[in-house]
Amino acid sequence: MTDTFASRKSRGSAAIEAAIFLPVLILLLMGTLEIARITYTYYTLHKMMYALARYVSTQQGANLCDTADPAVVAAKSFALNGTTDNSGTAILSDLTADMISIRLEQVDAASGAINECACAVPGCDTSNGGLPPDYIVVSLPNGYSVTPHIPLIPTNPIALRPQVRLPYGGT
Amino acid sequence: MDTRNRPNNLRPRERGATSIQILVILVPVLFGLIGFAVDLGRLYMIRGELKTAASGMALAAAQRLIGTDQGMVDASTAAKVPIDTSTGFGNKYDFGGLAIGQTTGSLSSSAPDPSFYDTLQDAQAGSGASGGSTARYAQVTLTADAPLTFWRFLPLASSGKVSVQAGAVAGISAPLCTVCGIEPYALAAFDQSDTADFGFVQGTIYTLGYSCTGVPAPSGLPYSGGATALVPYLLLDRLNPNDVAFPDENSQSFRGGAAGMPGVNPANGFLTNSGQPVACFNINNSTPEVVWANALPTLCRNTVASPVSSALCGMDTRFEANPSSTFSTVCSGIASVSTLEPVYSPDSDVAEEVAYASYSGNGRRLITISIVDALNPTGGMTVLGFRQFLLEPNTNQTTLTPPDIDGRFLAMYVGSVAPVKQGNFGSCGVAAGPGKVVLHD
Repeated sequence: MTDTFASRKSRGSAAIEAAIFLPVLILLLMGTLEIARITYTYYTLHKMMYALARYVSTQQGANLCDTADPAVVAAKSFALNGTTDNSGTAILSDLTADMISIRLEQVDAASGAINECACAVPGCDTSNGGLPPDYIVVSLPNGYSVTPHIPLIPTNPIALRPQVRLPYGGT
Repeated sequence: MDTRNRPNNLRPRERGATSIQILVILVPVLFGLIGFAVDLGRLYMIRGELKTAASGMALAAAQRLIGTDQGMVDASTAAKVPIDTSTGFGNKYDFGGLAIGQTTGSLSSSAPDPSFYDTLQDAQAGSGASGGSTARYAQVTLTADAPLTFWRFLPLASSGKVSVQAGAVAGISAPLCTVCGIEPYALAAFDQSDTADFGFVQGTIYTLGYSCTGVPAPSGLPYSGGATALVPYLLLDRLNPNDVAFPDENSQSFRGGAAGMPGVNPANGFLTNSGQPVACFNINNSTPEVVWANALPTLCRNTVASPVSSALCGMDTRFEANPSSTFSTVCSGIASVSTLEPVYSPDSDVAEEVAYASYSGNGRRLITISIVDALNPTGGMTVLGFRQFLLEPNTNQTTLTPPDIDGRFLAMYVGSVAPVKQGNFGSCGVAAGPGKVVLHD
C-alpha cells in the first residue's frame, strides 16, 4: 500500500526533525532557566549589598574598621538572613559574612576626588578619634560563584560581583 | 483520526514541511516567551540597580541641603558621587557592568542633576521645583537603556534596547525627638510659648557666653553691624567614663566642639547618670540633663573652666587648621590635641556672614544646640528642643577666641535649617526642629 508507505516516510522525517530540534529546544529552555536563575541570584545579591549598606550607614557609633563590631556583624547578618542576630535561614547558601567587604571613602573637599579612607587617625578609625566616612561601598571582592547547569555543555562558574555605594549617614 | 481512510488529496503528504512551518511561526512566539524569562528579568534587575543608585544620589544630595544658596550647588555635586566610577567602585547597572550617566556603545543613560523642592508633596508630584535656599528635598530620576537578548528579534523592540527609568526622593524628616552627634551646649529658651523659635530671632547674631555668677556680667561681643546681646550657655555633661582612646575630659569636650559628640559603640558609650548614649539628647528627657561636672559656672569676668575653653578650641577647628598653634596658652595643653587637630578640616567659608543664605561654606560652621527650660548649673534641666546656629568669627577676625575668659563666641540663630547626622522619632510632640535625611520614595 503506497499511501501507508508515504505516511510512514513522512512520519520518519518528522521524527528526524524532532530529533534535531528537540535538543536545541531543550538547550534553549535550560539556558533560559539558567540565565534567569543567574539574573535572580545577582539581583538578590545586589539587594543584600543595598540592605547592608543602608543598615550600617544609619547605625550609632558603628566602628566600620572592625569586622567584629556589633553593628557591622548585625548588618551582615541582616543582609545574609534577614535577622540581626543571625537566627534566620540563609537567603543564599555559600554566601558568608567574610566574603562581604565594606570600603570606606572620603571626598576630598578641595579636589572633589573620592579617596579610600584608611583605618587610621586622621582617617576613618572612629574608635580612635577619626571621623566617619562620607560614603561606603559594599561589595563582594571575590564574587559569588554561580555555575550554570546546561546538559552536555561544560560551563565555568560565573563570579557575580554586585557593589553598592551609598552616603554614610550615621554618626 | 485515522488518515488511511481519507481521500488521497486530503492526506498530509508533507508533514515535515508542516513542522518547519509550525517552527517558523513558533520561533517568534518562543523567543517572546523566553524573553519574559531572560529579558524581562534583566529589565527588572536593571530597574532595581537604577533605584539603588537613585536612592544613593538623593540621600547624598539631601544631606547637603542646609538652607543656603551654596547648599544646592553642593547637593548637585554630591549627587554625582554614588555613580562616580573613576576609582573602579560605584553604582553601575546591567549586572554592574555599565556606568550610569554615560554612553556605552549603543546604550545611553542619563543622570541629570537632582531637582530640589521645598515640600515633600511637590517633590513627590515633581512640580514646583525650588530654585532657592529653601529647598529641603532632592528628587533624582535616572534613565538608562537596557539591552535585549531575545526580544530584539521581535518587531516591537527591533532596536535591541529599551529605556528603563527609576527615581528616588530623599529629604528632611519630621522633627526628631532624639538627636545624636550634636554639640553639648544648652541655652535657656527666651520664650517657651514660642514653639517655633523659643524667642530667638532668625538671622540675628548673638554672643553666647558661658553662664557665670556675680557682677559685672560680661558684655556681648560686637560684630560688623554693631553690638550683640549676650545669651548665657552651659556645657551639658557628655563625659564618657569608658572612653579608652580619649579618657581626658578636655579631649572629649574638644571633640564635642569640633564636630559634635562622636557616636560611641553602644557597648561602652553610655552616660553614667542616665544610661543613654553619650552622643544623643532627648526632648522631654526623663533623666534630667546636668552640667558637665568640671564646668560649673565661675565668677563672671574670671577664667572659665577648662572643658569650656577646650570645647571652644574644638569649635575653632571649624575656622582654622591648628588652634593649638594660634592659641597656645589654652588649646595646646589639651591631651591628645596633636592627634585630634588634623582630623578636622576648616570650613571653606570663614568670613562673617550677616545673611545666612549667602553663607557659602559646607556646613562645618553650623552647630545644633539643646534649648532647655532654664539653665540650672546645680540641678536638672529639661530639653525643649534643638535649634541651630551659624558660628561667626570673632570681630574683624577669621577665627573664634578660645582664650576668652567668659567663653564667649558669636553665633547667628538660623532656626532648624540643616539635617542632623542622626536621631530618632518619638512622641515628644514637637512641631518644629531639625530632622534627619530619610528616603521618602
